[in-house]
This record gives sequence, C-alpha cells and structure tokens, in this order.
Amino acid sequence: MLTVYFALMICTALPVIALKPGIGPEFLAWLVFGLVIVKALLLVDHFMEMKNAPRGWRLAAQLWTPAVIIAVAGFHIIT
Amino acid sequence: MTDLAFEPEPESSSPQLPGDIAVWIFIFAELAVFGIMFIGFSVARSMDPATFHAGREALHPLIGLLNTVALITASYLVATAVHQLRHRRSGVQWRLWLAVAISCIYTVGKLYEYVNLYSQGYNLGTDTFFMFYFFLTFFHFMHVILGQVILIVLAVKVGNGDYDGSDMNGMESGASYWHMVDLVWLVLFPMIYVLA
Repeated sequence: MLTVYFALMICTALPVIALKPGIGPEFLAWLVFGLVIVKALLLVDHFMEMKNAPRGWRLAAQLWTPAVIIAVAGFHIIT
Repeated sequence: MTDLAFEPEPESSSPQLPGDIAVWIFIFAELAVFGIMFIGFSVARSMDPATFHAGREALHPLIGLLNTVALITASYLVATAVHQLRHRRSGVQWRLWLAVAISCIYTVGKLYEYVNLYSQGYNLGTDTFFMFYFFLTFFHFMHVILGQVILIVLAVKVGNGDYDGSDMNGMESGASYWHMVDLVWLVLFPMIYVLA
C-alpha cells in the first residue's frame, strides 16, 4: 500500500517537475493524460480494492478515467 | 474465549465488491455526472482556448498541487484503516481522524483560493473558464465535505466499537465514497490547473 502511495506521489510531482525545464506544452499535456490514467488505475485497484471485485464492476471503475481522458484528449487535439 | 486480535480474517478468494452495491450505483452515477461536466469543460475550452489560458494564469497551481497531495494522503490513510480493521488490528480510528485532518488542508486551501479570486473580482459570471472553474470545483468541494462527514461518522463508530472487523460493509462503503472523491480530483486538478 505504501508503494502505491509513493507511486501516486511521484506521478503527481512529475508534471510539476516537467514544467521547470521548460518542456513544451504539447508534451506536457500528453504526459499529464498518461499519468492521470496510471494514477486512477492505481487508486481504483489498490485503494478502492477493486482488484478483488467482480470483473464487470472492476472494469467499469477502471474504464471511467480512460474514457474521460480520451474525450478530453480528443478535444485537446481539435484545439 | 477467542482473542480476535490473533485471528486475522483470511482474504476472500472469490471476487467481492468492497462495500454496499447501492453505494457503488451511487458512485457510478456521480462519476457519470462528473464525466459529463469534464467533457463539457473540454468542449468549451476547444471553442475558446485563449480565455481558458488566461483564466488558468489567475490560479495558484501550488495550492492545487497541495490539495492533490492532501487528498491522496487521506485516501492512503483510509485504505490502510480499512486494511487494519479487516485484519482486526489496532490503529483504525487514528488513521480515520488523521485522514479527516489532512483532508482539511484541501478545504482550507480551496476556501483560500475562492476568497482570493473573489477579492480580485473573479466570479461565476466573469467568463466561461471561471464559470466552469467555480461550478466544477465547488461541486467537488461539496463532495469532499460529505466525504469528511462520512469519515468522522466512521471514526466515531470505530471508537464506539460498532465495527469489529466481522462486517466490513459500512467501512468499505464509506471508504469507497472517499476514494471516488479522490479519483475525481485526480482528473479535475490537471484539467484546470495544468491543461487549461
């Protein structure tokens, strides 16, 4: 559980660290999209304990973030 | 007489939903509402990126980052509290109280941000960005408050000995709601503070 916590912290800090050396906003956006999905999957499986849930429920909980992020990223591409 | 402290309940091998099914239906309904709002935010942003970029400049990303750290830490404490109770170990109550205390960093930070923005003249009617900002973050803020109330109730009930690890339904349901609040923030924070 502590490993998951530290992984979540690192994933939270990465975009902020990436801002410092002046990484392009486009790369930053895709980094953020990817990290949000990783964080959400860790939270759902380990903190919410959905890894022990029936497959359908687990899948529904896991898919919420990627579905939202795909929609958001789609409009980001349009912009 | 059996000492429960030395008889940890084995983890169930069959798939089991953590908490009550009704709570999970409620959680998915909430996630659907937030999902629609996030997509609405993205549509509005794609139509007027300049306004959203200017709006983001008025925010404090450090406060947003601090709020994220506070919510993740509170979630970690709640998750470990559930684990401790399941295995009938001590330290459940202080973990829940500490989670409430740490989550107050979020509520204080958000209130500070609202007051600060309002004093600078920003409100719901300023532009599309601030309409979404205040609406989305305040809607989430209300969920955090409800989550804190649930955690306080759980902590009090643990203190009263109402939960002994034999029935995890109430504890898991409350914890799942709290994690849902955290999950929503994980998407909301970068959308508003980083991408906008």
